[in-house]
Amino acid sequence: MTEQDETNGGFEPEITVFSCIYCAYMAVDTAGVLRIRYPANTKLVKLPCTGKTDMRYLMEAFEQGADGVCVVGCPIGNCHHVHGNERGQARVKYTKQLLDEIGLGGERLEMYFVSGGMGETFANAVRGMTERLRALGPSPLKDG
Amino acid sequence: MEHNVERNDPVGAVMVVGGGIAGIQASLDLAESGYKVYLVENKSAIGGHMAQLDKTFPTNDCAMCIVSPKLVDCGRHRNIELLTDSDVVGIQGDAGDFTVQVQTRPRYIDLDRCTGCGDCADVCPVIIPSHFDEGLVVQRAAHKLYPQAVPNAYAIEKRGIAPCRDACPAGQRAQGYIALIREGRYEDALRVIKEDNPFPGICGRICNHRCEDACNRGKLDDPINIHALKRFVTDKVYAQPRVPPEPAERVHDQRVAVIGSGPCGLTAAQDLCRMGYGVTVFEALPVAGGMLRVGVPEYRLPSEIVDREVQDIVDLGVELRLNTRVDDLDDVFREGFDAVLIAVGAHEGRMLPIEGIDLPGVMVNTSFLRDVRLGASPDIADKRVMVLGGGNVAVDVARTAVRLGAGEVSMACLESRETMPAHDWEIEAAEAEGIQIYPSRSFKRIVENEENGIGGLECLNVTFMEFGADGRLTLETDPHSEHIIMCDVVIFSIGQRAGLGFIPESTGIGVTRQATIAVNPNTMAATRPGVFAAGDATTGTAFVIEAVASGHQAAESIHRYLRGEELEQPPKPELPVVDLARAEIGERIQRGEVEVTPRVAMPELPVEDRVANFAEVETGYTDELAQAEAARCLACGICSECLSCWYTCQADAINHDMLERAQAIQVGAVVLAPGYEAYHAEQSSEYGWGRYPNVVTALQFERLLSASGPTHGHVQRPSDGETSKRIAFLQCVGSRDQTHDYCSSFCCMYATKEAIMAIEHESDTQVTIFMMDMRAFGKGYLEYYHRAQERYGIRYVRCRVSKIRQDPQTHNLLVRYVQDGAEGPSIVEEEFDLVVLSVGVEMSDGVRELGRRLSVDLDEHGFCRTHPLRPLQTSRPGIFAVGPFRGPKDIPETVVEASGAAAAVGAVLAPARWTRTEDVVYPPERDVSEEEPRVGVFVCHCGSNIGGYLDVPSVAEHARTLPGVVHAEDNLYTCSQDAIQHITEQTRELGLNRVVVASCTPLTHEPLFQDSIRQAGLNPGMFQMANIRNQCSWVHPDQWDAATEKSKDLVRMAVAKALRLESLRKTEVPVEKAVLVVGGGVAGMTAALTLADQGFPVHLVERKDRLGGNLRNIMHIVDWESGKAQGNGKGKLVWHDSQAFLQQLVERVDSHSHITLRLQSEFLESTGFAGAFTSRLRTANGVDEIRHGATIVATGGVEYRGQEYGYGSDPRIVTQQEFEARLAQADDPSSGSGQGLPDSVVMILCVGPAERYCSRICCTTAIKNVLALKQRNPQAQVTVIYHDIRTYGFMERLYQEARRQGVMFVHYEFDQKPDVRVTDSGLQIAVREPVLGKDMVYHPDMLVLSMPVVPPEEVDELATRLKVPLDLDGFFLEAHVKLRPVDFSSDGVFLAGMAHYPKFLHEAIVQAQAAAARAMTIVSRDVLEVGGVVAEVDVEKCVACLTCVRICPYRVPQIQAEFSGVGDIVGAAYIEPAQCHGCGICVSECPAKAIQLVRYRGEQIEAQIAALLEPEMVEVCE
Repeated sequence: MTEQDETNGGFEPEITVFSCIYCAYMAVDTAGVLRIRYPANTKLVKLPCTGKTDMRYLMEAFEQGADGVCVVGCPIGNCHHVHGNERGQARVKYTKQLLDEIGLGGERLEMYFVSGGMGETFANAVRGMTERLRALGPSPLKDG
Repeated sequence: MEHNVERNDPVGAVMVVGGGIAGIQASLDLAESGYKVYLVENKSAIGGHMAQLDKTFPTNDCAMCIVSPKLVDCGRHRNIELLTDSDVVGIQGDAGDFTVQVQTRPRYIDLDRCTGCGDCADVCPVIIPSHFDEGLVVQRAAHKLYPQAVPNAYAIEKRGIAPCRDACPAGQRAQGYIALIREGRYEDALRVIKEDNPFPGICGRICNHRCEDACNRGKLDDPINIHALKRFVTDKVYAQPRVPPEPAERVHDQRVAVIGSGPCGLTAAQDLCRMGYGVTVFEALPVAGGMLRVGVPEYRLPSEIVDREVQDIVDLGVELRLNTRVDDLDDVFREGFDAVLIAVGAHEGRMLPIEGIDLPGVMVNTSFLRDVRLGASPDIADKRVMVLGGGNVAVDVARTAVRLGAGEVSMACLESRETMPAHDWEIEAAEAEGIQIYPSRSFKRIVENEENGIGGLECLNVTFMEFGADGRLTLETDPHSEHIIMCDVVIFSIGQRAGLGFIPESTGIGVTRQATIAVNPNTMAATRPGVFAAGDATTGTAFVIEAVASGHQAAESIHRYLRGEELEQPPKPELPVVDLARAEIGERIQRGEVEVTPRVAMPELPVEDRVANFAEVETGYTDELAQAEAARCLACGICSECLSCWYTCQADAINHDMLERAQAIQVGAVVLAPGYEAYHAEQSSEYGWGRYPNVVTALQFERLLSASGPTHGHVQRPSDGETSKRIAFLQCVGSRDQTHDYCSSFCCMYATKEAIMAIEHESDTQVTIFMMDMRAFGKGYLEYYHRAQERYGIRYVRCRVSKIRQDPQTHNLLVRYVQDGAEGPSIVEEEFDLVVLSVGVEMSDGVRELGRRLSVDLDEHGFCRTHPLRPLQTSRPGIFAVGPFRGPKDIPETVVEASGAAAAVGAVLAPARWTRTEDVVYPPERDVSEEEPRVGVFVCHCGSNIGGYLDVPSVAEHARTLPGVVHAEDNLYTCSQDAIQHITEQTRELGLNRVVVASCTPLTHEPLFQDSIRQAGLNPGMFQMANIRNQCSWVHPDQWDAATEKSKDLVRMAVAKALRLESLRKTEVPVEKAVLVVGGGVAGMTAALTLADQGFPVHLVERKDRLGGNLRNIMHIVDWESGKAQGNGKGKLVWHDSQAFLQQLVERVDSHSHITLRLQSEFLESTGFAGAFTSRLRTANGVDEIRHGATIVATGGVEYRGQEYGYGSDPRIVTQQEFEARLAQADDPSSGSGQGLPDSVVMILCVGPAERYCSRICCTTAIKNVLALKQRNPQAQVTVIYHDIRTYGFMERLYQEARRQGVMFVHYEFDQKPDVRVTDSGLQIAVREPVLGKDMVYHPDMLVLSMPVVPPEEVDELATRLKVPLDLDGFFLEAHVKLRPVDFSSDGVFLAGMAHYPKFLHEAIVQAQAAAARAMTIVSRDVLEVGGVVAEVDVEKCVACLTCVRICPYRVPQIQAEFSGVGDIVGAAYIEPAQCHGCGICVSECPAKAIQLVRYRGEQIEAQIAALLEPEMVEVCE
């Protein structure tokens, strides 16, 4: 699959990914090992567990100019810290509401659950997010 | 249990054989508790079957996610030495001191140099089926076993020398260039040919290609058309403008003269020039090339090809002197040459001394052909030409004559048509061109005509001819057969010899009787020192390829001579020649790897177009034809040594000369964990595996499900890649059948798991599982099975499938089976898209061989024989067995055994703990807290893996501009050993206090780099990585600019974090050596004795007033010994006395000086952490406080006593334990043997809670008691009413024995439970048999109920006091069901025995040993390091709200009253660093933001986010 290149004049959304250092980070590695392509504007910040996800980080990413944010953790039930991913999920849900309230749009934030072998699933997730953000357009915070 | 320390000074090292999960776990436990470990694995990487799995049941964890950290730990552990590609071949010595012989096969890639970049695999042209993917896809001969493989290095699979190469005198790697042609890599193919032969274009045309005669493909259809492919590739490359080779570097002063510029002389000249000598070639003729240029006709070998290939050699720097005849050898030496090679060929044609040879018109072959090639053709137009001779040269002469316009051309020779020495295809071509052949003629004279010219040839018919062993000819002719064949020209072509006039006897060069130069055939040395001779001049005429081989050999000898070495080379070990048996080729055809296709014919000029000119007859392959022909190659040698990998590897890691290595290793004990082999499904031919593409094995299906498998986790059917909507699983394929008297234990569960995963992938998939019993006997398994039915709608059908047929059109499968019904059995056939065979467990031939070599007793299936009361001990002391090698078992049990073996080893080796281990000594740590940040950035090219897809130097350049960065550089491979050293040096010399590496993934490489900065005295916390390979170059390979920019972003982010890094603080805590064991049953006692025997003090606490626990209720245990073992064909039951065993245990515990036993005592509470607990115990005498480093919970279980089925209402209704006691009583002589035992018994299995969870032991216990009853009262009638019979593993044999003894088994469903009534006439049990729909009624003397094992009373309270969790059924919950089966999630607390789950005596013993081993990983140390990435509370912000206390998954935070929080409120949270797991959940939840996680502090993460998105945001903090 070829990614849309930047020469088409289209808007290439900037995505910040927060991933745990277990399944999610391994899935991103696996996408690499299997040479699965995904948009190059996807950049990753490591967290020890998605249970460490903090609303401040998510908001900081938007403030610094991300058009979208993804949080990626282990599959539900397989968290390496028992239920950290569920904690993270709750915070993502709450932050989505907040994004809706302030008019940025909760759909700019999404959480995904992948196991270490699921490189393709990760790539699909960020491809899907890119599509969604292309439709939404640049983050209003970007040049604000 | 092993408790005899046999030697006082054993060797503190252990060999673990097998690198699957069992071997890995045993190695880690052993290494962590003080032993040096050699882990021997016969593949190129560890990981075993578990690495192949997609998910694991019952948690559906990704197998790779959970095993990968263990792989990495094992690979990096300083006291574990991995010996991959290795086999144990012998052992000497005794327990405590063994010497083990280990043989290591070459992997052809240097493990120390390989960086795992994969460039070799990218260029490797050889395709083989992927074993890791179970043959579903192909891989390259250079490969890594799987992406996460440890060691992270590639290996080259090489089987031997391909027969084509072996048959070639010059050793041409034909298989290699054929593979490259298939890939369309023609330049590379030519490079391969030139490795061995400087004349590819020439040999492609005129070689006699013995390679094709040897080709294994000839056994199947036709040999590969190797010479045509060779010619194709030269034509292809030579069509391009010639690029002259780089001149060779002159290394040596010495000069070599080569006399003769034929193929032999030029080959030697080339080799010597490349070696760095000065080389001059003397050639008498005006052209170079020798016979190639002047002996082979143009139509076979165009001059421009010869000229081109000669020029390639000249361009290397060889001096070529044409028209320079050497008349005197001594002249050459006088000119200052240090060595001379005589390679003058055989250019003098021979004649026969017969009448008429002086006539005009009589010629010899060599001068005839030479004159034609040099443009001075004799005029033979329209003449009748007779060629004398039957060899290939004679054919050349005759066909040349045709082309010169001769009127008619004939050949006459001594040999018969069949025995003519010329190749058949040459003779056929000659005949096609109209040449008349007169075979079996001897030549009497050449008849003179009236014009003094030739009139004809007088011949006699040959009646017999033979060359004797000495080369002399015996010839008989018919004296009356004189006849004359008319002709005008006679050309002799009966042989050639060398012209040796320039070496008269005085030169000291010996000559043979055949007029060849005498040489030592091994060295090519002539009789005068410094003079060598090779090629036709030494052998008489031979083929070009022999001249080339001879030239190489001479060059090597001359080199050795000039270097002053022995001329004779020492013999080199060689790989075997691969002889593919027809059967093996057949198997490959069956697997679809090979198709029967005849060779692709070489297009030729039609005869009418070729006789009139010298145009080439064979026109050559097109690309398509060549690639099609190349694709037929069977790749016999696997690796062809094409050297593509060697040319491409920038780490210089490839070494095709590696040899097998043998070493003897001294160890004190051996743990055998060789694992299992899946049953070979093709043996069950009724299921069509191998013939029907859509029948796959469960392991293949596992790979199809795997996201990193061949289909990326899309379940595609092999025949057409379509999704499978209807899938059938066939259970017990290779288990529970005529040849396997055992159950493979885990197939029921993996089939269920695979079915669930298939439905998870495609929700509308319908799955049917055909099975006999559902053996869901493990913890959480039954619930999983219920979920499979209820939530996923998986259909389970109880039957054994008799046959599968394939619909030839759709490749769908028709599964046939017998279904019992009320109307009797009927045959059903159902259609499926895909069938999965749940293949069972077998032992490989290799494992049997291992057992034989180690003199370890195996059973007839190859499983290791062990005793139920000493489960891990093999028949040879000091050698232990774990995992499926002891009998089929799943992962958790295997892991338990692996840990248990570590404890068993300790029984032999404990005195030698820490004697063979090594500690890494780091320089003292530099305090950099007050320094300004000085960041060094190292950006990796990873060969071409990163550097080929983005601008690495510009990333380093960008890093240099970032604040705080004082140094940035790019490296070819940052992880290579010299680069690691370089980082250490740069850190020290430049005074770096933070290091950033931008390369690959921290999951595998971070510890390596952290180590390098520790070597420079920097804290490992001062390191940060940017993963620009997995996240940039590999995923954006066609976006150079975007990948480069993203890499800069990631590096900037890493630097931003690096600026804010802090040292990771670790503190050392002294370890309390004692262990607290709670529970005095068999598990507790075993754990206590295991520890105490190895010198650790144990506090054993038992609530009751005596030891023994549940074992007091087990009177006997039984085993089955097969008939084969006894040699009588009949098996037998072997009974063991469990009470005697218990007695021994109790006595040893009572008397052990290291065990403090507290009966009637209870555990109250515990504080502290792993290594330093303080616990309070309530004893008969009050409360004791003890200090200990670890805790083992072994509180056991009890038999359930409910009121189901009238239990308690009638003395004839008893539990299994009660029945067992009664059987034992009957043995008591005082009660009269056999007295009081019932004559008829009904048993009901799965009573009460057993419907919810399987109590694992009840089926076997019931059968054991049945067998015990039948032994005492053979007439007893027994009916067992069951739901599933779960006699897993070898216990299946007991089930079979019970059936043999006539015990009736009746199935029931939980919704139609048996009805039990106590009537006046006795017991009445009615049950509905669900398949037949019939009600069965029994009136037994006794009803025995299989009551499950349940947790003891008050277990909830104990769990609370221990601060460890329980599962829903009240059993203790381990940290991870699969890989941490004896650990609790709280460090330092372990569990064993029935407190964990119902289990057999032998399983409890092993688990107790495992728990002891795990505890020993803590208490065997003097100090523990704690801290690192942990959460820290800022008490001044803490409001003691308890959020962290509630939220922590490990229950670590506590409110400490002595701390003061916000506003001096009393109490604040405290997080013990020794216990914190560093997840950071509490940090994010803390409402007061009073907690920070080291290395993930808020400002660190926010700085990363800012730097990533806003380049200008990077600034030095403070």
